[in-house]
Amino acid sequence: MRLNRRQFVVASAAAGTALGAPAILRAQPAEYVIGASLPLTGPFATAGQMVAPALRMFEALNNEDGGIGGVPIRITTEDSGYIPSNALANYQRALATEPNLVMYFGDSTGFMKLVAPELRGANARLMGSTSFASELADPVNNPYQYLPGPSYEDQFDILLNQIRDEGGSTVAFVFSNTEFGRDPIAHGRRTAEELGLRVVLEEATREQGADIPTHVTQLAQSGAEYCILQGYVTGVWPQLIGGARQFGLPTKFMGTFWGMENAIADRVTAEAGPILDGYLGVMPYKYFYDPERGPTYERFAAFQKQAFAGTPLEDYMPTWGLQALFSLQIGVEALRRVADKGLDLTADNAAEALAELQDWDTGGFFGTPVSMVNNKIGTGRVYQYSAETRLFTPTSDWFTV
Amino acid sequence: MGQFLQFALNGLMSGAIYALIAVGLVSVFKATRVVNFAHGYLIMFGAYFYFTFAVLVPQAAWAPEWLQSWRPDWMVEMRADLPMFSPLAAVLDWMANLPRILLGLAGALICNALLGMLIERTLMRPLMGQSVFAMIMLTVGLISILSGTAQLIWTSDAAFVPALAPNTPIRFEMFGATIFLFGADLANMLIALAIFAGIVAMVRYTRSGVAIRATAEDQSTAYSMGISVPRVFSRAWVLASTTGAVAGAILATRNGVSPALGLFGFSVLAIVLMGGLDSYLGVFIAAMAVGVLEALTQWQLGGEWAGIVPYVAVLIVILIRPHGLLGSKEIERI
Amino acid sequence: MITGNLKASYAADERVLDNRWKQGFVLACAAGIAALAGFGNDYVILIACQMGIMLIAVTGVNVVIGYTGLMSLGHAAFVAIGAYAVVIFHNAAAGTIPAPLLTLLALPFAVTVAALIGIVVGLPSLRVKGLYLAVATLSANFIVIFLIEQDAFARWTGGMNGINTPTANLLGWDLDSRREQFLLIAALGFVSLLAAQNLFRTRVGRAFIAIRDRDYSAEILGISLYRYKLMSFAISAAYCGLAGALYAYFYARILPEQFGLDLSLMLVAAIIVGGMGRTMGAVFGVIVIVMVPEVIKVIFGGIAGGGAELAQIRAPVQSIAFGALIVLFLLFEPFGLTQIADRALRALNRWPFARG
Repeated sequence: MRLNRRQFVVASAAAGTALGAPAILRAQPAEYVIGASLPLTGPFATAGQMVAPALRMFEALNNEDGGIGGVPIRITTEDSGYIPSNALANYQRALATEPNLVMYFGDSTGFMKLVAPELRGANARLMGSTSFASELADPVNNPYQYLPGPSYEDQFDILLNQIRDEGGSTVAFVFSNTEFGRDPIAHGRRTAEELGLRVVLEEATREQGADIPTHVTQLAQSGAEYCILQGYVTGVWPQLIGGARQFGLPTKFMGTFWGMENAIADRVTAEAGPILDGYLGVMPYKYFYDPERGPTYERFAAFQKQAFAGTPLEDYMPTWGLQALFSLQIGVEALRRVADKGLDLTADNAAEALAELQDWDTGGFFGTPVSMVNNKIGTGRVYQYSAETRLFTPTSDWFTV
Repeated sequence: MGQFLQFALNGLMSGAIYALIAVGLVSVFKATRVVNFAHGYLIMFGAYFYFTFAVLVPQAAWAPEWLQSWRPDWMVEMRADLPMFSPLAAVLDWMANLPRILLGLAGALICNALLGMLIERTLMRPLMGQSVFAMIMLTVGLISILSGTAQLIWTSDAAFVPALAPNTPIRFEMFGATIFLFGADLANMLIALAIFAGIVAMVRYTRSGVAIRATAEDQSTAYSMGISVPRVFSRAWVLASTTGAVAGAILATRNGVSPALGLFGFSVLAIVLMGGLDSYLGVFIAAMAVGVLEALTQWQLGGEWAGIVPYVAVLIVILIRPHGLLGSKEIERI
Repeated sequence: MITGNLKASYAADERVLDNRWKQGFVLACAAGIAALAGFGNDYVILIACQMGIMLIAVTGVNVVIGYTGLMSLGHAAFVAIGAYAVVIFHNAAAGTIPAPLLTLLALPFAVTVAALIGIVVGLPSLRVKGLYLAVATLSANFIVIFLIEQDAFARWTGGMNGINTPTANLLGWDLDSRREQFLLIAALGFVSLLAAQNLFRTRVGRAFIAIRDRDYSAEILGISLYRYKLMSFAISAAYCGLAGALYAYFYARILPEQFGLDLSLMLVAAIIVGGMGRTMGAVFGVIVIVMVPEVIKVIFGGIAGGGAELAQIRAPVQSIAFGALIVLFLLFEPFGLTQIADRALRALNRWPFARG
């Protein structure tokens, strides 16, 4: 059979389409990459080093579930030393060297604010983080970043309301002199005024190596009934509380998410006695030892027993790890929904999918279905530490702000 | 007035620690004409050594039980019916920790002395007689090496270290306000002042002290008078690193063990220049003054302002008196 | 092969690039940079941009430390001032000056402000030198960063939270990609280096060198210490201000803590490694100081493959390597890489007649 010219052109175009179409429509890479910066060194190294294995677990479990749209994921972790510009360099490097980077996990309020204006066009990626800074929950200016829980400002509001309900009248804010520490202070001041509480002290400290005796005398002189601590991870907050207790100050201490780790509280209790008894704070998720921990935690527990035998993670996942896991879960869930629609995994598509996470069953991170509103999941719970049981136990029901 | 007194006292207590750190810097400068920018990081090593021997070693499986917590029967009896945070309970808790506190201090002193000697031998001695610039930058390089090494050895984990003295709260009324003091803080101040006085007396009256002063005066003459100048150098470094170890242990109990302790070195450097590099008295005055100023700034302006005080103070003093409060002027010839 | 000083006229003797080898080298470098802008991948461009910004700042530090012999550990403050000056200028003038002209005006503004602050910070240099000056400048660095962080100035500087920076716009051309920014950085870096090279064949530059070699002798020879020390601080601060301005255009947001002591020490370390008082010293130094941590990162990334256990010791290793570079160069090659390069070139030049 002889083809004339027109037939030849049509035929070859058709053949080309048939061969090339899958490549265009289903240009699936061999893997999707999720980059992460963690503070493996520096002031918050303890947290970073416990979160890192959790990321490995996340990768393994999600690849068991088929990754994102059948493509396996790979998580690369780099150290930031809790220095925002290091994390930024890590992100830029990941952008330049990993063609299939679909999501990034940042490690500080500072980094998230630093990177936000860089997330434009081809440089944008979906971005979860360890931070609950309120500025990040802003879908208009900042569509790609989200919070895996209520913002620090929300957490402050909850604690201040708690104080008013208990009949308190004076409160002190003690915070680390970082963006993380300063984030909710101005807002907290306003809320306290609205609630008729008097803020008798606003004390900025170093994030580590703070001059504890001076800060404690400052607190003693202010005569505050309540003190909210913000911007610490492992250091400073237990020492401050210990110092106040040794002085016999009647001040009641409260904290936000990063000061709510059971392992740290236990370590402090073992070393310095029951100084943390009665300490109260906001934690969005269920603790890992929760009696009704749900399928997700069960699955983690089984994995941890095997993979992390002999490490502190064998039977326990710290709150920081839970936060990182949940944060990544949100991102991967959004990306899966994008993949299911057959769209490209661009940051814009992922940001749209984020808003579709409504009444979402997280499999046990929360005791209730949660929704992504304004790029944040405003659900959480108030817990209190008891030195006798050495556990944080809930004192409120699940609430959504 | 009562408030003022409270913060002035706080300031004096941190001033004493500054003085303890500064004495090491001054001694090294007197003997070797080297100003150690990395002194803060030597202190940080002291703190980590104290942490190792007072917390990590007693926790080890092979360590005897009494090292971790020494509780003879009489102590348990006395402790039994005391309330949690009473003064006597604090003393007893301290005594239970005493074995590991002593082990920690001994370990910190020995290890830091070895570290000081090592630095002097390998890095400082080849640089004798080089320019000021080379000497400063060498110690600046040392900063990065020391902080990196500390991070490699000890992951920066939060931990409590036992206080050097019983942490009994002290409170009394004065000028119509309650003054709060920590017992351990007061003891730390006394320890720091005693060591400072001891070193000044040593430099003044003992043989090796005279050797240090002679070397400071004129190296080659000291040599020809039969003083072993290299030995003076290494003694000065050992002195600096051991006082640094004590300062590190104190700071570890006050502020927790962390790489941030290295930053104290810079504040103290400012204090030393403010007082005059080779004058113990001047440095003592500067340390106390900066301690009190910091505390008062903290009181009036808030925590974030306190950190800047030594730097502003040193700038002002240097502009008015280029060689510090009591430092001796260097005479330059062309 | 250069066999001697064969200049036949004053004009030839006074040229910035006084022999054909240097001219050739400069042209080759320009061609190399142009090629890089065209063909380098994103990662290479990213690193090259960082190097370019550092290079300008290090050239400035070289003026004050390497040529004038004044110790400074506070030059990051000038970088900060340049960066913030650009942002403040853009925000203040946004309505009144047309956008295509903003960058062209903001750059000289930043440089001028940095130079003026440089004079203020340089004041202690009239009274003290050496160690005292080092601590005075270090203190100035702490104080400048502290002031930027203050709430009182937060309206302009963003305080501790940092502030978003504008995009550079040259007469309507938006430099919104790294590659375009690289062109601007490379061009300005190139000009800066040539200007520095030129400075030291003028009266001012030679006065600087005289002060470095012996300040009292220089004064006796009729060089006003007062004038030239401050001028040296102003010029070096101006370079750092330019670097800061480019920094602000390059990154989308700046934080005060990025301009702390670490950056100051890095700038000084670069000229120690490269070679003080030599134009090429800044170039060599920056290449080493930027590349060594980057190479360590790549090696660790290769071994660890994204795992955290090894990533955890990367930062300490980088820190030790940085310190070791300073220490080893000071102990074994105080004149830096330029000296090594000189030796190598000399050996090549004389080969096969003599070695070393």
